[in-house]
Amino acid sequence: MKKQWPVRALSRALSSSTSTSTTTTTNTSSFPLKHVTKSNFESALSSLSDHVRAADFIAIDLEMTGVTSAPWRDSFEFDRFDVRYLKVKDSAEKFAVVQFGVCPFRWDPLKFSFVAHPHNFFIYPRQELPFDGPANEFLCQTTSLDFLAKYQFDFNACIHEGVSYLSREQEVEALKRANLIYEDGLSDSLKEARDMKVVNVVDVLFSERMKNRLSEWCGGLLQERNRGSEFQGSSKDSEQKFRTVFFKMRPAVSLNGFSSHQLRLIQLVVKKHFKDLAYLHVSGENSSQQFIVYVDSESDKKLLMREVKEEQCKHEELKIKAAVGFRHVIDLLSSEKKLIVGHNCFLDIAHIYSKFLWPLPSTGEEFASSVNNYFPSVIDTKVLLNSNNVLQQLMKKSSTALSSAFSVLCPQIVLGSKSSYLPLQSRVKVEVEVDDKRSSSWNSGVKHEAGYDAFMTGCIFAQACSHLDIDFKLHSPSENLAHNEKLEKHINRLYVSWINGDVINLSTGNRTSESFGSNNHKMRYTNICFKHIVLIWGFQSKIKAREIRECISKVLGPSSVTSVYHVDESAVFVHFSKAGLVSKFLALKERLERTNDPISVLHPLAKLLEGGNTRAASYETYKEICSSPISKVLFADQAEAFGIKWKTKLVESKVEAANTQESKNLHEGNSMNSDSDSAQETNKKKLNKVTNDSSYDQLSRNEIVDSFYTSENVERIRTSNF
Amino acid sequence: MVPLLQRRLFCNKSFHQNHCQWPIKQVTKSNFDDSLSEIKQRISTSDFVAVFLQNTGSSSSPWQRVSAFDTPDTAYSKAKSAAERFQTLQFAVCPFTFQASKLTAYPYNFHLFPRDELKLGMPSYSFTCQTSSLTSMAREGFDFNACIYDGISYLSRAQEYAAKVRIGNPMPVDHKTKSSSPTTTVADTVFVERIRTRVRHWKNACTDISTTKSDDAFVRSLRKIVLGSEKYGSRPSITIDVCSERQVQLVLEMLEQSDNLVPLLVPAKSGGTQSVRAVLTSSQEDKNLLKMELQNLEVDQTKRVRGFREVIDLISASQKPVVSYNSLNDFTFIHSKFIAPLPPTVDEFTNSLHLAFPVVLDVNHLVKNIGPVRKTTNISAAMSYLKNRFFAPVDMEIPHEDVVNEGNNHGHNVVKICHLFGKLCSVLKITASAIQSGDHHLASSALQGYENVFKLCPNIPQESTNEEDIRIWTNNTRKVSCQDVVFLWGFKKGTTAGMLKSLLQGSHEVFTEEFDIRLVDRSCAIVVFWQPGSSQTFLDIMNGTDFSGKLREMVSEGVRASGYEAYKRVCSSGLWESELADSLDKALASSECISEREFESKPSEIYWCSELMINLDDL
Repeated sequence: MKKQWPVRALSRALSSSTSTSTTTTTNTSSFPLKHVTKSNFESALSSLSDHVRAADFIAIDLEMTGVTSAPWRDSFEFDRFDVRYLKVKDSAEKFAVVQFGVCPFRWDPLKFSFVAHPHNFFIYPRQELPFDGPANEFLCQTTSLDFLAKYQFDFNACIHEGVSYLSREQEVEALKRANLIYEDGLSDSLKEARDMKVVNVVDVLFSERMKNRLSEWCGGLLQERNRGSEFQGSSKDSEQKFRTVFFKMRPAVSLNGFSSHQLRLIQLVVKKHFKDLAYLHVSGENSSQQFIVYVDSESDKKLLMREVKEEQCKHEELKIKAAVGFRHVIDLLSSEKKLIVGHNCFLDIAHIYSKFLWPLPSTGEEFASSVNNYFPSVIDTKVLLNSNNVLQQLMKKSSTALSSAFSVLCPQIVLGSKSSYLPLQSRVKVEVEVDDKRSSSWNSGVKHEAGYDAFMTGCIFAQACSHLDIDFKLHSPSENLAHNEKLEKHINRLYVSWINGDVINLSTGNRTSESFGSNNHKMRYTNICFKHIVLIWGFQSKIKAREIRECISKVLGPSSVTSVYHVDESAVFVHFSKAGLVSKFLALKERLERTNDPISVLHPLAKLLEGGNTRAASYETYKEICSSPISKVLFADQAEAFGIKWKTKLVESKVEAANTQESKNLHEGNSMNSDSDSAQETNKKKLNKVTNDSSYDQLSRNEIVDSFYTSENVERIRTSNF
Repeated sequence: MVPLLQRRLFCNKSFHQNHCQWPIKQVTKSNFDDSLSEIKQRISTSDFVAVFLQNTGSSSSPWQRVSAFDTPDTAYSKAKSAAERFQTLQFAVCPFTFQASKLTAYPYNFHLFPRDELKLGMPSYSFTCQTSSLTSMAREGFDFNACIYDGISYLSRAQEYAAKVRIGNPMPVDHKTKSSSPTTTVADTVFVERIRTRVRHWKNACTDISTTKSDDAFVRSLRKIVLGSEKYGSRPSITIDVCSERQVQLVLEMLEQSDNLVPLLVPAKSGGTQSVRAVLTSSQEDKNLLKMELQNLEVDQTKRVRGFREVIDLISASQKPVVSYNSLNDFTFIHSKFIAPLPPTVDEFTNSLHLAFPVVLDVNHLVKNIGPVRKTTNISAAMSYLKNRFFAPVDMEIPHEDVVNEGNNHGHNVVKICHLFGKLCSVLKITASAIQSGDHHLASSALQGYENVFKLCPNIPQESTNEEDIRIWTNNTRKVSCQDVVFLWGFKKGTTAGMLKSLLQGSHEVFTEEFDIRLVDRSCAIVVFWQPGSSQTFLDIMNGTDFSGKLREMVSEGVRASGYEAYKRVCSSGLWESELADSLDKALASSECISEREFESKPSEIYWCSELMINLDDL
């Protein structure tokens, strides 16, 4: 494998570079993939739309410039569903998508195989229009760029040649602005001209000269009209600056080589002295042109003005339509209402929504229902692999990371049909077609290249379908796969958070905690109760989780704290055993800070409050801070930038509610403890699994992020278990 | 890939032929070590060092650019926010000498990428890119792959310290930090005696082992456990746990009494010292050898950690004057990336920067002292302006021998800066020796006030600048007190300054006096009252309840106004919305809970320059 690397990298670089000049990149030595940049976008789009229309399903994958804008925005176990959505929203709003893989799959009934058309789009949010609005920045996570570089991502192809795009919102905004400009654009410029006073002697002389020139021209024009014939010959004004042309069937002067100040003076002269002349400013492809047009009458002038205005509007609209760019692909996917297949694709869908459609709504439920309008059926292969027993057995507990799942489920496809697998009935055959060239044998593609990742996702899905007894031989092309009853219960279900198995149903907006296959996983996270959590930050950085736990235990009792969890080095979540302890702790902290007498220094909590910047609040505050668009690296800095001035935010403890809660907790106390034990147990198991997985070195990007988080989590749990 | 890349760059070359005439040494990870020693020598023999930074962005929206109506405070806030968010991808350094109209320059262009080499989340977790900046870089043929794949990483001075602590390698004792112990308590004496006994036992055991080799392995390992003996390289060592810096002190003093022990400090993860490690050497020579080894180790590690910052340290150590085009912008970047996080106020910034770079010369500022402001908006414009106005031939020479010009010749701006600076020196009669001598009173009087102008923002002379200096360029600049400036927003989008002015003129009698109005961005305008006190009258009306006539109409349409302090608050509390109107609204909303004392207004003035206002056509 490793020895192949340089060769593959080189061929990849070659293919992506050549894609800018030649459209075909079918290279026998590498995986056939159609690279699309701005030079071949138009043709690729038209061929893609045919493939999408004919497709049974379409696999997608995205590569971004980063995942989390600050360490404390990472995915945590302690993420409530709404907080998790806010984190995904933040990520999708801040980072850019640099590569978009689209791979339509079509069942070929003659060859009993699927035909895949992998496309790899380089996209870049270049500002094509002069007024694109404020969304002209994006964030890069250093480690993510490094990661992309490790997989030989071609940044030059992306930035130099990437296809640009406008979201629907940006397009609407741009059209509105264009109309606004042309509504009063023409009259506006006249107004400006009137404001200007000609005081300068030089200006007066220039104006006078222009006036003479124009009246001469007008006079000549009228004479020629009378004579009728020798129009061409008499235009002795061959000077480039002052060229006679025809504009909209009317004689006109094209003004060249004047400064903007001079043009303004000319405009003023025309306005002041010539009723039968109209000054026009026409912006063309890359440059703008000024004309003085001869008009017959006032009504003719109005007609001309309207004509010009309409033309300019149309021109502007065309420009905006061209700037829509890559979004045409998204519109295509949306309008065809085909089944979209992704792998752990909640973040991908959020990116698609925020980059190409509208700004992300503020809650996950709203998001789900709006996504559903545009993409009625989405299927997540990661959910599929984890929620079906047959598939789980096949996966044999190996990782559901994209490339590992691909090699487990579809060994026959990994290296094309070169491998000597017998044509077992359960093995789905896939062929790849790029630019009308079909191939059934290839070398492995490059992981984390969006086009290849989309292809792998599609293959996993096709194979999974066959294990679910969906027989494509009986499947008629007119039938939409999305409505297949065997897939029905998996459709539109996406992991909001893979770590705690939160699944959202896009068609209903409901969310559930998904089991990870075996039932004992189910209980893992039920012991996190967000009402029991206090968020503490701003304490001195040398204090460790263990010490915080000791501090609080000394005051509120040895069993008061269930766990302490580091958000980052400046903040922790403290999970109390009872909800009542939350308000108790906050009230105590507030009192200690208020009194500030010598005795309070000896208080066990004094260590935590040292430095005088320790702040505490309930979980809700974490949510509020997550919703802020600011992203400071440290949580304590973030809270400050967010504008938090108070030290303690008290929680009103409703006595009754707390009491019932407490008794309930007492009742469940025993079982809870054992629960949490088993939870940690399984967590560790999971870590082992994940670390094993990472030795594959074949994790998809999403996966790596997952495993990274989990390993971190376990580390955190460990520290809190001391 | 290389030939293809070249092909594309060759196409670009035809458009930028003029840039390619100077050979500039391109430095990436692979040739960094060689270039470092080379540039070290070049810097030491040079008169000046010019720098130019290529960043991933400059300002998020038009009003966030430093402009004429900024005081030093607000300008610094703006530059600070940009420096904290954007990333430097190329850092061009050019040591040069200038003698008798002959300029000898050695331009280097360093490709940077903030790769996390030590896996510590440093130097930067993430950075912002401005699409338009990257696009224009791409147009100039910038090679992003070279930058991200082979860029040199770095750590700032502050980060280096943090990294050393976190890596946790034992550090040799820095003799300067040692201070004599004050008084010795009983507890101290007990502690020292205990440690002394332990060390003595251990030392005896070590020397014993070397003499009597009869013990079997088991006994030896047992003894090792009992004595807590470890190996440091090939030498035996012992770790002494400490609980406080006081104890560190005591242990070090105690160890010093022994000839053949070398103490090392093991830093704790959260700062401070976790333990002291004593290494036993066999003789004085061996001790010296060990010390040398430690020193080399440290140098190696430092090199790895600092990366490109070595170059910054070289420039700083040389104390040579640094020439830059936009010094406020460049040095906020340099400070935040290579020295330490930017301090909150401009005074702290200048002080901190002064320690690292005593003399900074801003070419842009120098040019402005000669010519009208609007003609010199960028380096090329300034150059052509000088060419047309003055006869000051500068003979450029770039004696790079080993530079293979592969077509990717970036960093030409730094050479332009050298060239421009050379011309300016001729015009202003500045000599290198005058600046170098350090005796600034003897230096050409023209130089005074140009030096260290990073204190000021490019267009804003500091309050202390003497009157004569201002007069030179007041032909279209007028001094305005911040108190006479009012920000106005909430009007209809697309309103021009002229329309606003005519609207205001009839709205209230305040506007019968002379006033000026300019748009800051699409959403907000700035009004200057030439009659002192008028602004206060206007603000009082706006904050009051009774409006009349047209003003009432405007206010009910949503027009709001505020004095300069609201703008200051926007900048100081970092309310960087994309439109100034939104920021001002936020500032007003938050001001209700902040008392006025925070803005005990320094008497500050800005320069009203009609030419410098943001041109809406540029947006």
